[in-house]
This record gives sequence, structure tokens and C-alpha cells, in this order.
Amino acid sequence: MTRVLVRSEALEKTFGEGELATPVLRGISMDVSAGELVLLMGPSGSGKTTLISILAGLLRPTAGQVELCGTRISEQREADVTRVRRRHLGFVFQSYNLFPALTALDNIAEVLKLKGVPAREAKERASRALADVGLGARLHHRPGELSGGQKQRVAIARALAGDPALVMGDEVTAALDTQTALHVLEILRQQVSSERGILLVTHDRRLEQFADRVIEIEDGRISRIVSGGANAGEAA
Amino acid sequence: MLRIALLSLAHDRGKLVASLAGVAFAATLVFAQVGLYAGFLQSSSAVIRHVGGDVWVMARGTAVVDNGERLSAGSREIASAHSCVERVRGVVLSFQALRKPNGSLEAVQIVGFEPSPRYVLPWAMARGLPQDLHAPMRVAVDRLDVDKLAIEGDPIGAELGIGRESVRVAAVTDGIRAFTLAPYVFAELDTARRLTMLGADQVYYWVLDLARPECASDVIASVGRHPDLVARSTDEFRTMTEEYWVAGSGAGTALGFSALLGLVVGVVIVGQTLYAVTKEHLKELATLKAIGASPVEIVSFVAWQAALLAFVGGGLGLVMAFGVRNWAVDYGLTIVLSGPVLGVGCTAVLAMCALASLWSVRAVLALEAAEVFR
Ligand SMILES: Nc1ncnc2c1ncn2[C@@H]1O[C@H](COP(=O)(O)OP(=O)(O)OP(=O)(O)O)[C@@H](O)[C@H]1O
Ligand SMILES: [Mg+2]
Repeated sequence: MTRVLVRSEALEKTFGEGELATPVLRGISMDVSAGELVLLMGPSGSGKTTLISILAGLLRPTAGQVELCGTRISEQREADVTRVRRRHLGFVFQSYNLFPALTALDNIAEVLKLKGVPAREAKERASRALADVGLGARLHHRPGELSGGQKQRVAIARALAGDPALVMGDEVTAALDTQTALHVLEILRQQVSSERGILLVTHDRRLEQFADRVIEIEDGRISRIVSGGANAGEAA
Repeated sequence: MLRIALLSLAHDRGKLVASLAGVAFAATLVFAQVGLYAGFLQSSSAVIRHVGGDVWVMARGTAVVDNGERLSAGSREIASAHSCVERVRGVVLSFQALRKPNGSLEAVQIVGFEPSPRYVLPWAMARGLPQDLHAPMRVAVDRLDVDKLAIEGDPIGAELGIGRESVRVAAVTDGIRAFTLAPYVFAELDTARRLTMLGADQVYYWVLDLARPECASDVIASVGRHPDLVARSTDEFRTMTEEYWVAGSGAGTALGFSALLGLVVGVVIVGQTLYAVTKEHLKELATLKAIGASPVEIVSFVAWQAALLAFVGGGLGLVMAFGVRNWAVDYGLTIVLSGPVLGVGCTAVLAMCALASLWSVRAVLALEAAEVFR
């Protein structure tokens, strides 16, 4: 029995009101479970970012339900949703969003401290997380001294250091060349476990080989769901 | 968050140095202006404070110590009638014309006093001792007034023409300056009376030392029954005099205005720095918010930076204010950096940085976590 980490039911989102109302999501029901890496794909403007924002509790839906790691967040107060994010989620972004003044180690350790981890333990976990993404030798480099791929690996280490059940990312490879992008996905793929799932928004067809499922959306609706390349080996 | 905030602020050295200089400048200005204000208060009432006593008896209608009137003969008996009065000391305080060697006139203020073991007058000596004024027609002038009085060579022994009399300088006081800027000429009572053409028992004020401070109101009431006299506690007369000069002359308003100007400059400089640093980090702050940082933690990013600027910049300003104080002494300006003055100054600097951080606080509070994916 796999654990469902996030599930949406009949999700709708409309921006603006009256004549300016733009329906962006028109009834999306989907889920991501522990043990899988799911890709969310679709043309530009189809509502991928909007969807992942709502699933993460960063945006409120106009209608429908979201259950995130056991909590119906669409019915919760802001502070409670924040608590759920703090405990269960990790984020990776296209533009890394690392503090330029902080070393790789500090960028991770400070986030852990914000999550309530004691300073000493935060440093230890941060350096372990950096070693896990192959940056054990770059602990004290600042973002300005790292390549794009290395920065993204720091960001991934930051997302994973808090030991989240679900990692969400939007276009995490968009700024990287093919080889680096594949390497970053390999690292993410390795982090999928029976306790953890990953949901990534992407345009990048090359990433399908790492996915268990690919959910394609078009014009605010799920157009199809296909299984990704990661299953090919297991099926045999 | 402390570490993130401070490292982010320190990341841009140029901006940090510029804003620290701005805070230090504003703080110096505030400390100096408030200190100058306190100095004005202090110097305007210096004679009252140093002559001391419990009750001052003066002509009815006297509003400020420098504009007293001569008291009629017989006032001494009225002033000392109450049994609680232990000692009566006469004080002369009067403007006179001093004729300089080149023939021009300079207004000076004669301060006549009776020596008392409890109150040392004059209260700060550069050369000589208070006892040196004991011989007839001996006076003390201030070292800062030597040029103004056109004294050439060694001031000790110099001769001054005041009114129709001639006196010799027997001692030099150390930085005692009147709020009115007319040089003080200190003399014992008999000499002062001759310089101000007073009769043998005439003075401007009778200062009463009481056996028990509690009977002050009784003494004041009994003197007040006389139609020409009024008695006030030393504190009341001191406050009246300070208010007359500092509030009445507009000096307080002028100083308050320049202090305010310093604060406004400080708010703008600090506000700009904090806002620029915050703007540069909005993406990262939104990330922290998405990750689960509370609004308080996000605001503390700005708050720690404001606090650092306030403490380091304010500290620098304080050191500079002490420098300015020592430099101002040579120009006859008293800047008092006492506990209350520093308290007011520090509060103003803190308020300045708090106010300056409001723009940035608003910006981070308005931050939507959903913006991280944009
Ligand atoms: N805050 C908003 N207010 C109004 N309209 C919005 C807002 N956010 C998104 N939209 C609209 O919703 C639609 C979907 O946007 P979204 O960012 O989810 O698309 P996307 O699939 O992520 O596109 P891309 O692949 O280009 O990132 C777009 O038409 C966009 O203009
Ligand atoms: Mg998008």
C-alpha cells in the first residue's frame, strides 16, 4: 500500500473577476505517492505553475480540494498550511534562489535552523546533504563561485536536508545544459524512496526517462497520463 | 535569521559603509544637538546652581536671574526674618560697561558673591584660587574671554576699567561662559558693589540657606507678604531661568530643528539601504516563506539589519559626538553628554532606524510565497 503524499480533487482556479475572469485550471484531479517521481508537462500557459502552487499550499484554489501529507489544506488557516509545508515539503526552483552572501553550507544550515533544527546538528546535516549531491568539496563556496548545475545541486541539497516527504520543483533544469540537466535529474531520482515522492514541472522531454508517470495538462485540464521511462526496466 | 540578515547586509561592502557613515553622521548630529541643548540649559542657570542655597529672594517681577533688580536697604532683615533661615548670602548680578584700552565699550556681567565653605565660587579655575579675589578690587575673568576683553600679555595682574572703577585680574576661570555671551567678571561682594554702584547693604539677590529644607514653603510665603519682594525655591528659579533663555530665545527650537533634520537624513539613508538590500533578496525571502518561515522570521531579516545599523552606526556617532564635544569647548560651546542626553540620543537613533525599516517591512510582508514559482 503506497502512501499518497498529495491529492487534488476537481481543482479549479480562476484569476480575476467578472469580464476579466480567466479560468486557468478547470477540474484537475491527480495525486503523487511516495516512491514515485511524477512529471507535470504541458504547453506554456497551460496552468502547470498555478497547479503546483496550489498543491503546495502557496495559492488557494477557486474550487476543489487539496490533501497534502494527510492534511486537507484547502480548509486550513494560513499558519497551519505553513506548518504543513515546513514539516513535509522541499522546494527546488529554476533560479535556485540561494542567498548570495551565504556559503553553500550556510544556505542549507540556516534553512534547517528556521525549521527548528539546533545549530550544530543543522551544520552536520547540511554538510551531509551537500555530500549526497556530490558537493562535499564545495561547502564553503558562495553561489557566485559555483556553476549553474552546482547551484542547483545546492538548492536540491537544501530541499532534501529537511528530510521532506514530498519535493516539488518548477523547471529545475531550464537553465542547465543537457548533460548537467540529466545529472541533476539522476540525483533527484536517487532520492525517491518508499518514504518520499517528487513532483516536477517541466517542458523538457529528456526528463521523461526518469519519471514513473507523466501527467500532461492542456488548457487547464489533464489531457493524458502516461508512464515514464523509469518503469521500463521494472516491467521487464 | 540573524546570520542570513547580517551576512546579506555585509555582502555589499560599499553600501554597508555608506549607510553606517550615514547613521553615524545622523547620530552625531542628534547627540551634539541634544547635548548642546542640555549645555544651554546648564549654562543659562549656572550661577543659580553654583551659588546654591535653598531659597532666592528677589525683586517682584524678576523672571530670569540675569535681569534682577537691586533690592532696597532693609530687605536683608525681611529675607532673614524667619527662624528657619540659617544663613543669608548676598548676590550681585548686573551688566556693566567695560572700557577696553582702545576706548570701545564691552558689556560684562558682574557676578558678586559671598565666599561660603559649602559653595565654591567661581566653580572652575584655570589659574589662581577663589581666595585670590579676597583682596579689594580683585576680579576673575574667563580664559575664553581674554581676547574679547582685549587683555594683552599675562591676564593675571591685568587692569580693567569697569564703570568709573579700576580692578585687577587676580584669577582666571576655566570655561565659565554666560548664555548671554557677555563675559562674566567674578568678584567678592564688596568689590562687586563698587563696580555696580550699590550701597553697603544692597544686593540683587538674597540667597537663604535653611536649617531644614522642609520649611522652604513657609519662608517663601512669609517673604512674599512684602509688596516689593518675592522668594522662590532655588529649583523653581533655576527652571524659570532655563525656560526663559532656552525656550524664550528660540534656541531650543533651532536645536530641535537641526536634530530633526539629522534624523530625517538618517531615515532616508538607512531606509534606502535596507530597502535596496531587501529588494535584492525578495526571491530568497519568498523561498524561505514557501519553505515555511513565519512572517515574524521574515520581518526579522529587516529588523536585524536595522538593529546592526542602529548599534554600530549609533556607536560610531556617539564616539564622534564626544570628539565634537571636546572640540567645541575651545569655542566656548558646552555640549553636555550626560546620561539623560545619551538616553534621548539613543532613543532617537533607534526610532530613526525603526522608522527607516518600515518600507522594507511592508515589502516583505506583502511578499506572496507563490511568487517563488514565478
Ligand atoms: N496571478 C495571476 N493573475 C492572473 N493571471 C495569472 C496569474 N498567474 C497565472 N496567471 C495566468 O494563468 C495562466 C497559466 O499560468 P501558469 O504560470 O500556471 O502557466 P505555466 O503552465 O506554468 O506556463 P509556463 O510553462 O510558461 O511556465 C496564464 O495564462 C497566466 O497568465
Ligand atoms: Mg510555469
